[in-house]
Amino acid sequence: MSATHAHETDHELEHLRREHLMLDPKPRGEMNRMIMEAMHTTSWRFRLTFAFLVLVVLVCLFGVWGYMIAEGLGVAGVTVPIYWGIFLVNTVFWIGISHAGTFVSALLRVFKAEYRRPFTRAAELMTTFGLVQAGLSIFFHMGRVWLSYWLFPYPNERQLWPNFHSPLSWDFLAINTYLMASTMYLFLPLIPDLAMARDRSTGWRKVFYRILSLGFRGTEGEWAHLRIAMNIFAFAILPVMFSVHTIVSWDFAAAMRPGWSSTIFGPYFVVGALQSGLSAVAMVLVVVRGTMKNMKYFIRPEVFDALGKLMLVISMAWAYFFFNDYMVQWYGGDKFTDALLHFHEEGPLGWMWFAMLILNVAVPWLTLWNKKVRRTPWAIFAIGLGVNVAMWFERYIIVPISLTINRMPFTWREHVPGVEIPLGIGTLAFFILLYMAASKLVPLVPVWEVQEGQLAHSVRKVGKEVVVSVADME
Amino acid sequence: MAEKLSLLAIFPDIDPAAQAVDELRGLGLEDGDINVISGIPVTEAMLGRPRQWSNVPRLALGGAVGGFLIGAFFAFGTPNLYPIYVGGQPLLPGAPSIVVLFELTMLGMLAATFLGVFLDSRFPSYSPKEYVPQISDGKIAIFFECPAEKEKKCSQRLLALGAESIQPAEAQKL
Repeated sequence: MSATHAHETDHELEHLRREHLMLDPKPRGEMNRMIMEAMHTTSWRFRLTFAFLVLVVLVCLFGVWGYMIAEGLGVAGVTVPIYWGIFLVNTVFWIGISHAGTFVSALLRVFKAEYRRPFTRAAELMTTFGLVQAGLSIFFHMGRVWLSYWLFPYPNERQLWPNFHSPLSWDFLAINTYLMASTMYLFLPLIPDLAMARDRSTGWRKVFYRILSLGFRGTEGEWAHLRIAMNIFAFAILPVMFSVHTIVSWDFAAAMRPGWSSTIFGPYFVVGALQSGLSAVAMVLVVVRGTMKNMKYFIRPEVFDALGKLMLVISMAWAYFFFNDYMVQWYGGDKFTDALLHFHEEGPLGWMWFAMLILNVAVPWLTLWNKKVRRTPWAIFAIGLGVNVAMWFERYIIVPISLTINRMPFTWREHVPGVEIPLGIGTLAFFILLYMAASKLVPLVPVWEVQEGQLAHSVRKVGKEVVVSVADME
Repeated sequence: MAEKLSLLAIFPDIDPAAQAVDELRGLGLEDGDINVISGIPVTEAMLGRPRQWSNVPRLALGGAVGGFLIGAFFAFGTPNLYPIYVGGQPLLPGAPSIVVLFELTMLGMLAATFLGVFLDSRFPSYSPKEYVPQISDGKIAIFFECPAEKEKKCSQRLLALGAESIQPAEAQKL
């Protein structure tokens, strides 16, 4: 009997090791080797994709942007009454994507969610690169991009300062604060891993890592300062994250327009950002796990399981805010708002409105309750892709489609995109390109955080059950 | 004055390293003569070491105050430098000013926190330092300075506690 019981315990332990990265430690040197190998191994598929993306970026982003600068903003589909088109759809979309990194890294760090450890950096990189695309989209929207310095906080030649009480100035301050804060938050925990890479590199990589690791050795003082700084960042960057998308939502909500004037737009936008951002993190992790060497050890189905649960909860929250916003506008009975709501559902792009609800709500709710689905990487990828398409539709509905209907019916006109389409493709390609380049230059997995987590985890028996136990090591 | 030697002892794990710190103290070494270098954040409590002093929280607070003052200048100062009254709107509106104050306070705090790590850790520093690459492979190194006459005793005790090697600490290019 006792031999049977011991066998069952061994079986449970083996199952737990296979399941949880934190319970399946490898020597640190071995994990370092795996990460370095993942960075150094470059397949022909990677090179081909990279070259293709470079081409797309050169043509669709810089080429078309140059064309638009030469020809003027008229080549984009923004005209009466739709002055805000796909450029701002993409701005809101990319800022939404950028919320994932902070949410995963900061909020899960604050709540000590252990499954975050192997993928915090992968998510943080999305924040920085997503914000780059958001910034580019704003520059496209400006048209006369060479005058962008007009937003900078300094007086002009007549000593007149920018109006800091304008939502556009808030955008400038909030997005720049978030970009700088998230880049610093990405860099701080990267320093020990850059030092690790420095110790294992030669040639130009050695020089690169030596410069970026700043002379880090891992002394008690260095770790203490880093730990304190990361704790401050984890708490302080969360309100900044909330403020960014809330301020973006005020660009719309502060206007007295049908469909926009809403007191709930702030949290609705934040939840929408988390909805698209978390799905994008899940998609990126599926690709990283499937294409990069040794990543199956670090990114296990437990990660997708946890992300799937978060996606489900956020999908429910999004549905709640969407319905709340819809309900109040519908009940208000304003005839232009009523016309707009009918236009959303029954207009030529009504299919987009229904697709948004199906992909954002119906699909996640019908699938993500199932553990098997949550643990299947391709299924999570497909659901995440659907959510991101739906969230792009949502922003398209909020911006150009809602601008179609206003209080002056003689100006009603449908939106016809121009160069926004190739420029949007260009930003997507640029995002993927930056990510691919980063995957070969910086350790995508924070090895020291993984090892720290593995040290904190153990298994113990409660009665006859083997349970996971986590020590608080901070 | 007795000659002091700098030594670097490498341990495979935290436990023997913590014991070694106690042992070195027992041999008369001061806490200031000992420094533990590791590839993961080993806390002072784990090693029984005095708490590290850090200026990062104070700098963060200072940054927040600085950011708030810059925000106040933007929100309340700049409109008064060139007052323009538009459509009966207030020159200094309350709620929009809070947005500016919040963003700049947070930016100041986070930037100062980031710079605080640089200042306290003296980053960047590319001069040669006592270090061995095994540290980032998970080894724990104790870098200590001891009087020449105690070198043999220190080495024997640390080897008995499981030190993998004890070598003269030489500054090398990282």
